[in-house]
Amino acid sequence: MPFTSKIERQTDYSDFPSSIPIVIDNGASYFRIGWAGESEPRVVFRNIVQRPRHKTTGETVTIVGDHDPALLKYFDCTRSGPRSAFDSDVVYQFEIMEYILDFAFDRLGANGSEIDHPILITECVCNPVQSRSKMAELLFETYGVPSVAFGVDAAFSYKYNQQLGVCDKDGLAICPGFSTIHVIPFVDGEPVYKGSCRTNVGGYHITDYLKQLLSLKFPQHMAKLTWEKVEDLKMEHCYIAPDYFSEAQVFQKGTKEAEDKTRCWQLPWVPPPTEEPPSEEEIARKAAIKERQGQRLREMAEAKRSSRINELENQLHGLDFLLQQLEQVEENDIPSFLATTGYVSKQEIEASISKATQSLRKAKGEQAEIEESSTGEKYPLIHIPDHMLSLEQLKEKKRQIFLKTTTEGRLRAKQKRAEEGLERERKNQQDEERRLENPELYLEQMRAKYKELSEKVEQRKRLKTNGGHTNGNNPCGGVGRGERLNAAQRERMRLLTTAAFDRGKGEDTFGAKDEDWQLYKLMSKDNDDDEDGLDADEVELTRISSRLQEVDPTFVPKQEVVPSQSAPELPRIRPLTKEDFQILLGVERFRCPEILFSPNWLGIDQVGLDEMAGVSIRRLPSKDPDLEEKLTSSILLTGGSCLFPGISERLEAGIRMIRPCGALIKVVRALDPILDAWRGAALYAADLQFLGQTFSKMDYYEKGEDWLRRYQFLYTL
Amino acid sequence: MEAEVIEAELVLPTYMSFKKIQMYDKYPKGQSRGRHWKHLKQILQAENYQNYSPDEPNYVNIESPPSMHPCKRICDITGFEAPYYDPRTNLRYANAEVFKLVRSLPNEYVQRYLALRNAAVVLK
Repeated sequence: MPFTSKIERQTDYSDFPSSIPIVIDNGASYFRIGWAGESEPRVVFRNIVQRPRHKTTGETVTIVGDHDPALLKYFDCTRSGPRSAFDSDVVYQFEIMEYILDFAFDRLGANGSEIDHPILITECVCNPVQSRSKMAELLFETYGVPSVAFGVDAAFSYKYNQQLGVCDKDGLAICPGFSTIHVIPFVDGEPVYKGSCRTNVGGYHITDYLKQLLSLKFPQHMAKLTWEKVEDLKMEHCYIAPDYFSEAQVFQKGTKEAEDKTRCWQLPWVPPPTEEPPSEEEIARKAAIKERQGQRLREMAEAKRSSRINELENQLHGLDFLLQQLEQVEENDIPSFLATTGYVSKQEIEASISKATQSLRKAKGEQAEIEESSTGEKYPLIHIPDHMLSLEQLKEKKRQIFLKTTTEGRLRAKQKRAEEGLERERKNQQDEERRLENPELYLEQMRAKYKELSEKVEQRKRLKTNGGHTNGNNPCGGVGRGERLNAAQRERMRLLTTAAFDRGKGEDTFGAKDEDWQLYKLMSKDNDDDEDGLDADEVELTRISSRLQEVDPTFVPKQEVVPSQSAPELPRIRPLTKEDFQILLGVERFRCPEILFSPNWLGIDQVGLDEMAGVSIRRLPSKDPDLEEKLTSSILLTGGSCLFPGISERLEAGIRMIRPCGALIKVVRALDPILDAWRGAALYAADLQFLGQTFSKMDYYEKGEDWLRRYQFLYTL
Repeated sequence: MEAEVIEAELVLPTYMSFKKIQMYDKYPKGQSRGRHWKHLKQILQAENYQNYSPDEPNYVNIESPPSMHPCKRICDITGFEAPYYDPRTNLRYANAEVFKLVRSLPNEYVQRYLALRNAAVVLK
């Protein structure tokens, strides 16, 4: 991991006299602060600020840099993400910058009443003067800094490497950073900003591109693809292809080589527990429990029944007793006697007796054997002519007629069922005989018949549901108006709509012909014969399939192809495997960093890394071939995004294409592309001449903005 | 505040002895102060670069020009070389297989692919 934070609080701040400058490399991704003359920065952290709310107390707090994500669980980070003070390398949000400086000085151990050290801070090439003056103002006014100097990070890196003999005093510094790429030509050890150029693509874009591509490719794992994780993936796996299209060809062909180059990130995945079949004991235990429960239920039902029988018997006894008493009572006393019992008449008592006996019989499980009694007995009024009957008896007669017809109907149905059963039996028997005669042939015939019938039935079903458009087994297709209704329903909808539209216009002749009224009949019928049950074919089909199941062990009845209309087809659930929790990096490994060379893949219409060198050389005021040759023979790559493997070779090849044949081209990478800018600045600030390059608060206010605009610093002391 | 949070010094203290003006004085709480910073575009506009000599390098004129090389066209989905272009979705694709995928993609995904190269339809 090349990037790591270092945020321990330093304790030796007071050991440094106020003449020693503090050196800050204020990069768009990382902030580094330390002492001039040292080889390593003291404090390094990501240049971001978060202002989440504490979950319990609700206060808004400021968190600078990246911390252990586990500690962020106490804060509600959903409302505000990490924020940066930068837009394309220019500091524009000074409130955020102030939080960052607070944190940096605090961790450096500052404890006095002000920061009494000169400060050297980096900025981007040709920083707008507004940003520069705001930064100076902040340092002077808020922190009480005595003097400030601004320098360019890539230039410091180049100078540092020049001092170590990596590159010459004439050369090109190519610096792919976090949000931009800068190319700065150096002539006689000084940067020539006239010849510099900037393309607004950088490491941020690469990470973002990778993140977007992966979340489009693996939408189910979007939550796992956090910015930090993707940044790690980028740093670990991305590389620059020597030639993009030939590398892509390898992957397109899917060769072994491509497989080797594909990286796989296995997300945490636990295989689902395999269900073991229950043991013998378990089964026995369960059966015993079931049996016990059944027993208890049966006992309860029995107890209930006996209590009911008891109750009914008691009631019957009571009623019998009442009747006996009633017989003994005088004719005149009957009404008063009945009043005490609650019954209105003797008939009522008798009726309740018969009711009670019937229920008792039912409770005891005896069949009510009324049906056996002859019709004449049961329906005595049917054959008596109407004129001989009273009004009440007429009513009774009607009831009896109704009862008679229903019982007869029931009997007929029963008989029919029995006949059908017999018929089936007979058919089966015939089949059986045929089968015994020639089993092979029989099976063959049965199968053919089954197939034919099932096709027929299916086709009919399809017609009914879809009216010809076979779209029913297309689960992803949108459900349009036509697909939801079957043919008959659709026809009805059509009738309704046309009827509604026809009414309004022209002469209304509706109703002149009798056929017109047929329309309403058609309209009112919603579902024609859908609920009529199975037709003859279907009955035959079920018979054959059951028969086949009996005789043919290999037979599997075909599943219903057309799902019932009400229940949507359930998605087939496939058990998740290890492969579903893998994030594969194939083409992405070199596709993402390739945007450094082709920014137009992101819609940024600017030249890429290789062409930038040519642009930079063209922009130089002097057109001296010797100088150009010198520049290209000392190209230094620095900055965080030049760490991709293969970038130097690719850059060299790219520059060779735009330079004359045979030109000397040498591309070297800085010793430490990330920290060299800070080291160079620290080395520079340690020189006694450095203080001559700084300016104080007095200078700033006296000389004014125009001076600050032209402020430029000499890198060669 | 939880003990482990305090121990890690996660939260930036509001008072710093070395500052002449504290954060809470500069940006007092509870006052709507609106946006007190400018976007980069506004900063650049305020710089009035047009008043200065074009020979002088500044933030705007050091920007790189568009490329002279023909644009490499890659398949939006697979990253392979893309000879074809789907006029319905505006996506570039490498072969028939990818084309099938392109046509089955929901519009949201198409727009996200297009947004990658800044070609998505933006409704304003």
